[in-house]
Amino acid sequence: MTFEEIYKSYWQKVFRICMGYANDYDLANDLAQEAFIIVWQQLPKFRKEAAIGTWIYRIATNNCLRQVERHNRFSSAALPLNLAEEKQPNLEPQIQMLYQFISELPETERIIISLELENVKQSEIASIVGLTEANTRVRIHRIKEKLTQKFKAHGNA
Amino acid sequence: METPDFDFKALWAAQTATQPDLSEVLARIDQYKRSGRRHILLTSITLGITAAIVLFVVFYFQPEFVTTTLGVVVILVAIALYVVVINRDRVLFQKADESGSNQQYLKNLLAIQEKQHFIGTTVLNVYFALLSLGIALYMYEYAARMTLLWAAVTYGITGSWILLNWLYLRPKYIRKQHSKLNGLIDKLKHLQGQLGEE
Repeated sequence: MTFEEIYKSYWQKVFRICMGYANDYDLANDLAQEAFIIVWQQLPKFRKEAAIGTWIYRIATNNCLRQVERHNRFSSAALPLNLAEEKQPNLEPQIQMLYQFISELPETERIIISLELENVKQSEIASIVGLTEANTRVRIHRIKEKLTQKFKAHGNA
Repeated sequence: METPDFDFKALWAAQTATQPDLSEVLARIDQYKRSGRRHILLTSITLGITAAIVLFVVFYFQPEFVTTTLGVVVILVAIALYVVVINRDRVLFQKADESGSNQQYLKNLLAIQEKQHFIGTTVLNVYFALLSLGIALYMYEYAARMTLLWAAVTYGITGSWILLNWLYLRPKYIRKQHSKLNGLIDKLKHLQGQLGEE
């Protein structure tokens, strides 16, 4: 796969994962671009033993985690809902709410649920995050419950 | 437990972003490469200037004592060491393998930070020690030409200045550096804790 092909087929997915992490359109855009810069850098070193998707998601999520070192310029929990709204016109409130709720989770949970919602296989998620499959399954289930409760608390039952 | 009643996946996928043109990403890659080169350039320039100063002092002032030249060399070695280590620290971070799992990646970052913690302290200590030694050596030639009283006064003043640096400024720098790194280390440990076995 060439870099161009990767970029075309993975941009949206990587962007959504960054968006789940940051819930800030501009920051997610930045994070996604940074991830692709790393992909570009590392592509010659990519070994075929891993699926390319797993490899890209590892880079993208590690880059999100690395935010702590780079610029502590956002704290998603403190981000008011309406501030995030401005950047994303024409989005249904429910969609915005989902991303908002995800960004309120602990960092690694954001990553796990983002990958799950992106339809990444649970065995792959386990290998991206570095957990056992069983543990991953339990966590995904728990996170979904958390999200459901948050939605219900907002009267969206 | 049943699956939740919300179709999270459908909501999730409804989020789309206009994909920036590939040329935009390629431009950023280019910028990134340039900034890497700029760092190397900056280090080289600093080291070049340092070497030039040594040569200038030696040839222009033609000090008679070898201690004077030695003093200048020691001071400049201190500066050069500092610049090199600071720049190397930057590269160190890039060594964390981004294609490992999150768990491994956090472990890598943490190890790097802890190493940096140690290196930072050591380098600062060496830097201050070399700087003091260099100044003392450099002054010797000029002090030797003074009366004993003036020489004592000169060394006394310089000595107290060095002591101030060592006892006040050095610990202050180290504290500042540590508090920054410790914040980061705590945050990384916190992230790692999230992935711990339950």
